[in-house]
Amino acid sequence: MKKKSIGDRIFIIGNTIFMVAFVVITLYPVLNTLAISFNDGIDTVRGGIHLIPRKFTWQNYYTVLNKENMITGAYITVLRTVIGTFLALAANALLAFIVSRKRFLFKSQLSLFWVITMYVNGGLIPVFLLYKNLHLTGTFWVYVIPGAVSAFNMLVLRTYMVGLPDSLEESAQLDGAGYMTIFARIISPLCKPVYATVALFVAVGQWNSWFDAMLYNRMSDKYTTLQYELMKLLSSVMQQSGSADGMRNAGNSITPASIRAAATIATMLPIVCLYPFLQRYFVTGLTIGGVKE
Amino acid sequence: MGRRKKQIKTKQEITWKEIKRQKVLIIWSAFFVIYGFIFYYLPLGGWIMAFQNYKPKDGLFHSKFIGLEKFAFLFSDAAFLRVIRNTLAMGTINLVTSFVMAILFAILLNEVKNVVGKKLVQTISYLPHFLSWIIVTGILHDALSSTGIVNEMLQKLGLISSQINFFAHESYFWPIVAFANLWKETGWNAIIYLAAITAIDPSLYEAASIDGAGRWAKIRYITLPSIKPTIMILLLMNVGNVLNAGFEVQYILGNGLVQKVSQTIDIYVLNWGISQNDYSLGTAAGIFKSAVSIVLIIIANRLAKRSGEESLF
Amino acid sequence: MKYKKLTAILLATVMTASMLTGCGGSAPKTEEGGSKETASSEEEGSKDIIDFTMFIAMPGAEINDGNEIQELIAQKTGVRVKETWLTGQSAAEAVGTIIAGGEYPDFIDGGDGQMALYDAGALVPWDDYLEKHPKLKEMYSDEEWDRFRQEDGKIYWANIFQNTYGEDKSTTHNDEAFWIQNKVLAWDNYPEIETLDQYFDLLERYVAANPTMEDGTEVIPYTALCEDWRYFCIENAGQFLAGYPNDGSVIVNTDTMKIEDYNTSETTQRYLKKLNEEYQKGIVDKEFATQTYDEYIAKLSTGRVLGMCDQWWDFYATVNDVFKQQGLDVKGCNYVPLGLTIDEGMENMWHTYGDTQNLANGIAVTTSCEDPDAAFQFLEDCLDQEIHDLRFWGIEGVDYLVDEDGLYYRTEEMRMQWANKEYQASHRCVYSYMPQYMGTSRDGKNAMNPDQQTSEFFSSLAEPLVDCFDAYGVTTYVEMIGSVNKETGPWYPMYSYSSNMTTETPGGVAWTKMGEVKHEWLPKVVMSDNFDSTWSEYMTAYEGCKPEDFLAEMQTELERRVSLAE
Repeated sequence: MKKKSIGDRIFIIGNTIFMVAFVVITLYPVLNTLAISFNDGIDTVRGGIHLIPRKFTWQNYYTVLNKENMITGAYITVLRTVIGTFLALAANALLAFIVSRKRFLFKSQLSLFWVITMYVNGGLIPVFLLYKNLHLTGTFWVYVIPGAVSAFNMLVLRTYMVGLPDSLEESAQLDGAGYMTIFARIISPLCKPVYATVALFVAVGQWNSWFDAMLYNRMSDKYTTLQYELMKLLSSVMQQSGSADGMRNAGNSITPASIRAAATIATMLPIVCLYPFLQRYFVTGLTIGGVKE
Repeated sequence: MGRRKKQIKTKQEITWKEIKRQKVLIIWSAFFVIYGFIFYYLPLGGWIMAFQNYKPKDGLFHSKFIGLEKFAFLFSDAAFLRVIRNTLAMGTINLVTSFVMAILFAILLNEVKNVVGKKLVQTISYLPHFLSWIIVTGILHDALSSTGIVNEMLQKLGLISSQINFFAHESYFWPIVAFANLWKETGWNAIIYLAAITAIDPSLYEAASIDGAGRWAKIRYITLPSIKPTIMILLLMNVGNVLNAGFEVQYILGNGLVQKVSQTIDIYVLNWGISQNDYSLGTAAGIFKSAVSIVLIIIANRLAKRSGEESLF
Repeated sequence: MKYKKLTAILLATVMTASMLTGCGGSAPKTEEGGSKETASSEEEGSKDIIDFTMFIAMPGAEINDGNEIQELIAQKTGVRVKETWLTGQSAAEAVGTIIAGGEYPDFIDGGDGQMALYDAGALVPWDDYLEKHPKLKEMYSDEEWDRFRQEDGKIYWANIFQNTYGEDKSTTHNDEAFWIQNKVLAWDNYPEIETLDQYFDLLERYVAANPTMEDGTEVIPYTALCEDWRYFCIENAGQFLAGYPNDGSVIVNTDTMKIEDYNTSETTQRYLKKLNEEYQKGIVDKEFATQTYDEYIAKLSTGRVLGMCDQWWDFYATVNDVFKQQGLDVKGCNYVPLGLTIDEGMENMWHTYGDTQNLANGIAVTTSCEDPDAAFQFLEDCLDQEIHDLRFWGIEGVDYLVDEDGLYYRTEEMRMQWANKEYQASHRCVYSYMPQYMGTSRDGKNAMNPDQQTSEFFSSLAEPLVDCFDAYGVTTYVEMIGSVNKETGPWYPMYSYSSNMTTETPGGVAWTKMGEVKHEWLPKVVMSDNFDSTWSEYMTAYEGCKPEDFLAEMQTELERRVSLAE
């Protein structure tokens, strides 16, 4: 290694300062939430809690974890996250593979067809009627099938695949490999970093969703999700029920800040724990042999 | 990326031979078109609501047609034109700042050579993404209050003589919203660039070092060009989203004093449509947003193509 | 009060999320609706229990399956109701989706979307059932029931709130008032405070003598919440100060039977000018215009705020809990209401005596219900005293005790337990949107609802509050505010009409615009360096909304309501 130049040294110092500042600023809201999640709900109302709980309690976590249907919710959430991520990754990757083939006749048309879907939206009721007629309502599949292909994820994958050298495909074709073989055996193994990225996006989306659960299973608990149960808990302890009658009936409920914080931390934790397994694909600068032209 | 070639611009002829050769691709495409048509295009039938006086009891098929009345209502209202301005302004500010910050952060993080430190910083940076807007804006409100940390610091530094009520002045509102977005999403947005950076062949950096290139040179001539396709694609996609400048942040942070600059199209639709059971108005505004987005995308895409950059379609 | 912050936020999430996920909707599942299911319990007397579903277009707390009181009620009535509450949507949107799906829960309270349910033909008329169910019919007089009739002349729902049985037992002033910490009154030896000027004069003198609290924090003499729909805290004092009741949105002049606009009235102008003056003096909180509801509650909870104008239900629960926990109640921080008027010697009507019948929504049975006979029978059973006591008091010996006079009471432990979230989910079953009463129990002694049990009320009062009430020779909050008990007209309250206006009429458009203008200008007027010029700018902007369109429609509605009553 060469000796570090002065410019490099200044850069390193500056960069370190930047990173430290960045970490302090982004960590604060998380630590603050953590502190509030361990603070007595009534005491929290007074405000002024920063990094350390003022009146320590486990009660908020107890309330959150004791919510009825939490087990069913967790089960469905895990299931939809796993199946949904797998399905979305497979579908988006295949679509991205197709539109990234340089010789593909309709690549431009097919891309446009999908790009438009990002900017149009039929609205709540038409979409709802559609799903009802497809008999997706009241099933588990409504969580994973409608959103399986998304233009955003497809484009992220496509950009990466387009960047791979054409020679790979050409030589494979010379060896007599079909498109599906090229996709499964040649392209996919090279796409690990971007697959990990998209998997993360989809998984986090699935993990956090609750609105579909609310719409499809309003009256039944069979397919409830973790986040939906938490949303129900939060909206029930919400002072801000939005009308005089609601407020009158809310009675002596406490402000939900502490419970919200506990719910946030409780759902964040699994993702944070799983993250390192994905992270290695896009942080450590992993290189794949044979990419070089 | 460094190794990529310029796209070959030969126009592919549609011949039977070629179609036969690409049979697999075409069959799968057909599947994806059917899927996309059902789940994304079919519900657009609901746009008919914008031309109706939609009532739940009559449904989509029996509500009264009123032509362009809802559009006329929107565009004759000075308030609607003002919310378009606000939305565009905040959308653009957010687009630019979040882009610059995410890329900057990804590149600088890549320059951190300590692997543990790098992983740690990266993990922490994306955590705020999991906090809801209520939590983030709550903390921001606290920090910017008259006794908050920002006022305290500004006073200690002697930059201001009396406390500033940041939420009472129109001129601070857009920057505050932009900051809130940066705070919550920079780390998360950077993930995509980090992934792109990992694909860069390390031998390029080695070769550059041998040639005596410093850090800046490497960033400028290797890293940036390598992630340029990713940058371009995300930029193009987000250009279409400037009218979706958000809603939650503005709604929670806004107040009567700044409502002239804080209200976005979505807030307008809430006040005038949704909260009054008027689905048609919201649909009309949605169609307007879609139309603007698609026009913007087509223009941006054409510009990108013309300058030989990555394009969406 | 239509836009609800939470709902709005969640709606927004959906709007943005729908791009990526393709949001969708679905029908509520009503498979269990009306189906008979044999209770598996082996106890004797166990009968077939019908499981009904219910959707309430309001946020609320779910209870667990197997909830103790719910099971007890199911054993006694043969009906178990699974309640589902509004989550993350507006009421109208939720109801809109349910209608589009065409499948309804057995019971529904549609909130803002109630009318849409009627329009869609989703509700079962009550008329035939009312004759069969005397307790249900007893809820309202014939005249009151007639008000619930829709255009086709039938009754489809009944609002179950604010309905008093027997003697009114209310001890709290559950309405709006200028509130003041009782220690401020104590400091000045409990003066008679009748006008706005006297109120602020007292605050000024108190602050001059006590600029900080015991722990050194600066006091905030007065604050006013302006956030979102809660801006009524600054907006509507003008009607009360002029001696009118809470018609909301307008004043009804009973001499001329004309609608008057309080926004432009002289009283309102004087009130805002006073606030402006006090703002310049530093008496009004500098951050009043930008504070959020959470910040407002936090401020009140620290005991720093000496006074404000607000509705009791908007702050008391949380704030009083914190006061108790922090020992601030014994230091005299609890708020008491003052029935202020703009000039001396006027009668005040801050307190609403009697019931306000809300016609806009209520409990209804839907056409999807397979056994409406059982459904109505259950509504009837809900009013049975035994069931009613189970719902609101709980189980005797567990949740309350009975003294030798037959009066119900609770120990401190029972009160704590009753307020506990987990206990509420596993033990309590209030069915809070089913028919119910306030007022006096059929035994003639107890209150229907423990919140109104006089003995419970007195045992929970802090000492300084008792002293304060004693000093003014009153025993309750209601007496404290001293409103005149004048009967309100059959039109009351007018806000039930304005809050349902839509942009389909010019009046509705004007009403929405007026709301926006007031949100912006009320704080500006109070904060202005030059009140008069800002006030005239405000008035120009206000006139631009065409308030006359709104007032004209209100006048028509007033006349309609009056003629209906004749």
